[in-house]
Amino acid sequence: MNESTLFTLAFILYILSAFFYLAFLFSKKMGTARTGSLMAWAGLAVHTAALIVRTIESGHAPFTNMYESLSFLSWASVLAFIIIDFKFKVPRIGPYLMLIVVGLVALASSPLMPKAATPLVPALQSYWLWLHVSVTLLGEAFFAVAFITSIMYLATTDPAKKERMDSVSYRCVAVGFPLFTLGGLVFGMVWAYKAWGTFWSWDPKEVWSLITWLVFALYLHTRIVMGWKGKRSAIIALVGFLAALFTYFGVNYLLSGLHSYA
Amino acid sequence: MRMKSIIKFFSSVKLAIGLLIALALASVLGTLIPQGRTVEEYAARYGQLSGFFTRLQLTHLYHSVWYLTLLGFFALNIVVCTLTRLDPKFRRAFHPRVQAEAKNLLVLKIKDRLKKNAPLPEAKAELVKALRGARYRVRESSAAGRAILLARKKIWGIFGSDFVHAGLLVIIAGGIVSGLAGFRTELKLHEGEVQTVPRADFSIRLDKFTTLYYDEDPGLNPEQRQVKSWISAVTVLENGREVRTHNIEVNHPLRYKGSNFYQSSYGFDPAPAATVDLAFELKTFEGGRLEIWAKKKSVPSYLKKLSLKAGERTILDETEGLSIIAIRYLPDFVLGEGNKPETRSAQPNNPAAFIEAYRGEDQIVSGWVFANFPDFTQMHASSSAGGGQPFSVIEAARDPGTWLIWAGCVLIMAGLGLAFYWPTWEIKAVLEEAQSKTELVAGGLATKSREAFTAEFEKLMASLRRPK
Repeated sequence: MNESTLFTLAFILYILSAFFYLAFLFSKKMGTARTGSLMAWAGLAVHTAALIVRTIESGHAPFTNMYESLSFLSWASVLAFIIIDFKFKVPRIGPYLMLIVVGLVALASSPLMPKAATPLVPALQSYWLWLHVSVTLLGEAFFAVAFITSIMYLATTDPAKKERMDSVSYRCVAVGFPLFTLGGLVFGMVWAYKAWGTFWSWDPKEVWSLITWLVFALYLHTRIVMGWKGKRSAIIALVGFLAALFTYFGVNYLLSGLHSYA
Repeated sequence: MRMKSIIKFFSSVKLAIGLLIALALASVLGTLIPQGRTVEEYAARYGQLSGFFTRLQLTHLYHSVWYLTLLGFFALNIVVCTLTRLDPKFRRAFHPRVQAEAKNLLVLKIKDRLKKNAPLPEAKAELVKALRGARYRVRESSAAGRAILLARKKIWGIFGSDFVHAGLLVIIAGGIVSGLAGFRTELKLHEGEVQTVPRADFSIRLDKFTTLYYDEDPGLNPEQRQVKSWISAVTVLENGREVRTHNIEVNHPLRYKGSNFYQSSYGFDPAPAATVDLAFELKTFEGGRLEIWAKKKSVPSYLKKLSLKAGERTILDETEGLSIIAIRYLPDFVLGEGNKPETRSAQPNNPAAFIEAYRGEDQIVSGWVFANFPDFTQMHASSSAGGGQPFSVIEAARDPGTWLIWAGCVLIMAGLGLAFYWPTWEIKAVLEEAQSKTELVAGGLATKSREAFTAEFEKLMASLRRPK
């Protein structure tokens, strides 16, 4: 099977997963949530195969243009959700997360995103492409889960649910922050040093990843040192994810700079 | 008193939070205003405001006095916060006081009490053994009929944030060293040219500069072909002796004696006038032979009519050493898949030929010529020798701050690992003997991973309840 067939199949499975999770939201039946989770697992497996096929066919890492990186980000988001759900048993975040994933995959499949795999420009020909992009996007996927749990925290009135969402948000940041630091900033600096001869050049993408990092540093300091929890923590996590989203997406379309590949 | 209040100011977490917010907002501003452009560009873009922006140094914001001052305050804040908290932390970690009161332990969230049907030494030994079995480091203080245990593991976890902060300071230090002592310059080298490297005791020679394309079809214009690699083959010379050769490519810099050399750019010297002067017209195609007219733009009377076969080299001008080859002939030219020229049919609907012109063995121009569209013809100065001399731009850099940056990164990652995934767990226990039985009260403290700790605590207590 070729990549686009596998990708479409994964898309269908994600839609089914979102559908079952939404049904669970109304029926409150655990069985429905389990079906949703199963569909997400199946979608992830097929999506993994699609990424592998694409890597083999193109001969390079599957995140060198916007289509590929959106596909990888949605893959990473499903993976992050599955890990968090496996550890903390929070099927309630399933419907919202899977809807976002469906949105990302739909955007990737839209005609706006050229699908053709193009040969790599010299600057991207490095194993740091694998390390830098995959680890950063995985970190951002955990921020995405924290974003959803933070919104759910703000939306719900049930104190037990609030406490659960607050704690899961923190755990997501605890995974996402080190990953983002390592992939986005550390690996980014090492690669920039190797390719451009300078580890930091105040390029808009670099600055925005620093801003994202500062916002999550703020999240951790207010929470751990000043004991902020709940509403204020949730709002900072929201802002942090929006900064990450802008770093990933907005910088490419709204600001110009060195990171003009994807 | 004054010193104390300064220290108090810089050790406050509120300052840290204010600085994080200020740095984030300032950084956002720097991405909204393009940095480091010319005065004219700012004037055109912002009009009246541009003078105001320049005065506030918003046009080179990240190197402005006020941004660097914010960073300086941030560094001071980190230093003071870390140092004022370090001493008590060290004492807590390595010279703790073994003290506890049963009533204080009982107000903790994680706690337990039980009675052992055994005298104190025996009960204590059993508890110590259980704790050690779970990899706790146990300290104790005993008095008559009473014992206090302090058991902890993964104590380095409490230093996680200090590692991260130290790493940030080392990175800031590295940035300062880079800014003050770092040096970079661009070397423009032609093939065969030697240049001495500034601030180094060696020179560098460009042996060959090559551009590799993914698509080696010569029928495509250089602009249509995708570059695979720019390669500068260089030799390092010390006192005229060749000491090292290296192919510098993007992502493959040359490192030598603390200097790094990067493939930065390339180009061609302006071509000699005569070479771009040539123009060609495709006239007819009959019996396997092409008729091509060569003209010179600067000499209107110049006209040479050539009859040649595709693939065959024909002399154009003996005195100038000029010759041409029609590499390909397509009777019905069309751009097919991937913008590749191909023929739609065998009918001469749109005859086109790809022509290369040479001076001696050096290709000077190349391009497609069209019989039906003589004006559409565009000859491109060839990238190989003969047109303009190619040159490669190599960036030479010395940056003594770099190793501090990497050391800082290692510290930050180690610190994040410790802070998030090496949680310090602490169990305190008070044992009191009464009528050859022992009453045990235990409490647990964990800043992180409380669920896992609670489970471990309960398991330990359950093992003590079990009669042997």
